[in-house]
Amino acid sequence: MKFKYLALSLALLVAGIAGAHADRLVIKGSDTLGAKLVPQLAEQFKAQHPGTTFDIAAEGSTTGIAAIIDGTAQIGMSSRRAKTSEVGAASSKGKHMKPTIVAFDGIGVIVNSANPIKSLTKKQVEQIFTGEVTDWSAVGGSGGKISVYTRNTSSGTYSDFKELAMKKRDYASGSQKMAGNEQIAAEVGKNPNGVGYVGMAYLKAGGIKAMPIDGSVPTAKSVQAHSYPYWRPTFYYTDGDPSGLAKEFVDFTVGPGGQRIVAQVGFVPIK
Amino acid sequence: MKKLTLAAAALCLALGGTVARAQDAGALLDLLVKKKLISDQEAEEVRGELVKEAATTSAGKWKLSTPITELELYGDVRLRYEYRGGRLPSNNSGDFGQDHLNDWYERHRERYRLRVGLRGTLADDWFFGLRLETSASNRSTNVTFGGESSGGPFAKGDDGIFVGQAYFGYTGFPDFKFTGGRMPQPLITTSMLWDDDINPEGLAQQWKHTFTFDIGGGGGEAVQSYSKGGYSKDGKGVVAAAASEPFKLKLDLFVNTAQYVYDDENPENPIGPNPTVGSGNGNQTGQQIPTTDAFMLAWQAGARLTFPNSVYIQVAPTLYNYTGNGDSFNIHYVGDPNTNQIGINSLLVFDVPAEIGWKLWDMPMRIFGEFADNIEGHDRAQAAGHPDHTGQHYAWMLGGAIGQLKAKHDWEIRAWYQYAGQFALDPNLVDSDIFDSRVNEKGIAVKAGYMVADAISLNLTWAYSWRINGSLGTGGNGDIPINPLDQYQIFQADCSVKF
Repeated sequence: MKFKYLALSLALLVAGIAGAHADRLVIKGSDTLGAKLVPQLAEQFKAQHPGTTFDIAAEGSTTGIAAIIDGTAQIGMSSRRAKTSEVGAASSKGKHMKPTIVAFDGIGVIVNSANPIKSLTKKQVEQIFTGEVTDWSAVGGSGGKISVYTRNTSSGTYSDFKELAMKKRDYASGSQKMAGNEQIAAEVGKNPNGVGYVGMAYLKAGGIKAMPIDGSVPTAKSVQAHSYPYWRPTFYYTDGDPSGLAKEFVDFTVGPGGQRIVAQVGFVPIK
Repeated sequence: MKKLTLAAAALCLALGGTVARAQDAGALLDLLVKKKLISDQEAEEVRGELVKEAATTSAGKWKLSTPITELELYGDVRLRYEYRGGRLPSNNSGDFGQDHLNDWYERHRERYRLRVGLRGTLADDWFFGLRLETSASNRSTNVTFGGESSGGPFAKGDDGIFVGQAYFGYTGFPDFKFTGGRMPQPLITTSMLWDDDINPEGLAQQWKHTFTFDIGGGGGEAVQSYSKGGYSKDGKGVVAAAASEPFKLKLDLFVNTAQYVYDDENPENPIGPNPTVGSGNGNQTGQQIPTTDAFMLAWQAGARLTFPNSVYIQVAPTLYNYTGNGDSFNIHYVGDPNTNQIGINSLLVFDVPAEIGWKLWDMPMRIFGEFADNIEGHDRAQAAGHPDHTGQHYAWMLGGAIGQLKAKHDWEIRAWYQYAGQFALDPNLVDSDIFDSRVNEKGIAVKAGYMVADAISLNLTWAYSWRINGSLGTGGNGDIPINPLDQYQIFQADCSVKF
């Protein structure tokens, strides 16, 4: 009799775990996507799919791509393209890194709103972030030692900005690495000599202003037209074509409902 | 339909290539997206496939650091059969009391060499190079098959890999190139003075400027030379190749200077008094030895004038002087048997290599020659105890060549006569094959080559020499351990693969 109860309990437990797993979506990766956009998409999705649970960890694009390679997430968020080495590592484990563009983003170069500087050129941005220029007076400012804020090395924005704006050169040795976009915006907002970069969704933070680059400002229009120099696609990575719940969520993200949220959060829709 | 066709074309192009093609295709994809022929998502999927392909091919697995803008892997493997023989004097004159007169010392060797290198350019006009070579010798990269004295057959005791070249430099100033490290020879030289296996260590500065003239109208146009692209493929600072159309006349002016660390003294300041010359060095025995590093300084300025139809004249006067003694070359050179063979005292060599070239029936031909005079040769002879042979202070060579070795089925024959006085040259630098690293030798040399394929060449070399002055030794340390080397002969048959 005891054995019957034990077997029944075990069967219920197994069924419960299996059921929970079927409705649970593990998403890891980019802070740019994972801090605001994906949680809001998840909330909306949950409203349409009761019982679905999300496990979202936004610790940088590198972690999202690694999670697909390791098989510890169904979707990897990334604000950069997968590197050749990552694609190679995935292939060696029988995984196929499938990118799906979910939104466009513009990386805005931000300075403190009290900074009198009105615009920057691409060359000046490169000089500032590589440390070639260390004083605002060298780029038309009123003087003062430039404080450079960057994302940390696991961030896709970190490597995207290096590629888009710095000709892949190294960041200035004195640059300060921040965990996320919000931290950079906050630090630059407090520091009159601060400069940093954030995704478009964070440009409305207090105390900062976005610099026009060679006369182009990061707007939905300029990013969608790919005329803003620091535009980029953002991705969901999956192991091959997504299936099941992951496919439903990807389809929702790139569909009209999801793209509305993309625009609301401050990203640029793909269509 | 148009969209589909273009997208398919992009995909085919993208998938059909290597990593470099992938980068090109990336630009093409961007263009197609911009023209709205394909969507961003479609472009991204193609990119993903490209990256996957790159990641799974051997080329894609190489990762280069960001500052490298260009990288070239190169090298060569050579198999060689060599006969080398030297004869002791044939009579009692100038035999220095040795036995076995008229006897030949002979060697037959099968050898190989490997040289493999990387050279490239870096961001902001810098460049670098690294070459690994077999053999620790300064004047040879050969390893003799079966040459180990222990370890059994096919032992690897002498099959080591050594750093032959390790250098970097800067070409950011128009017409200038600066190099430091263990570098390919930046000077225009010949084998009479410099063995071409030597990679000098130190610093070098090169300047070259090209002027072009229209023979009909006069006036000149300056053309920059030592830019990044001007860095020659073989790493040497050779003067530009023949003039190209539409220029009628081209004048290259060049200045090459070098400061080589010839020998490091260790220590420069010893505890107690300076060391003294040991016994067996004649009247030098007991003398205090200066403790300074030895530097070799080279000053070369020259010109190359190129006329229409590939006719050119080149002359590159050079002055070599030495400062200090080092700790290996500080005993006065003598050159006779059982005396010093390597001292660098009283060497101030003025050297003029020159060359005239032309094409006849589309065949390159040239006459080359060189004259070198050790301005301090008299002192060198006197320090060697031969005040009656101070005339041995000059060296010269004269030869001709027909053909070239550049591509499959090319051939070349080169022959020359060479004369090197006992006190004329630095015996530590002269070619180790032609006349066995010796001076006080005169003779002839012939080389013939044929390119079996673009990367494979066959070469034959033969040289024969005689002692110039029968009352002097033949200075220098060669592979034939006899002195005087009254007569000498070498034959080499090479098969080389270049990559």
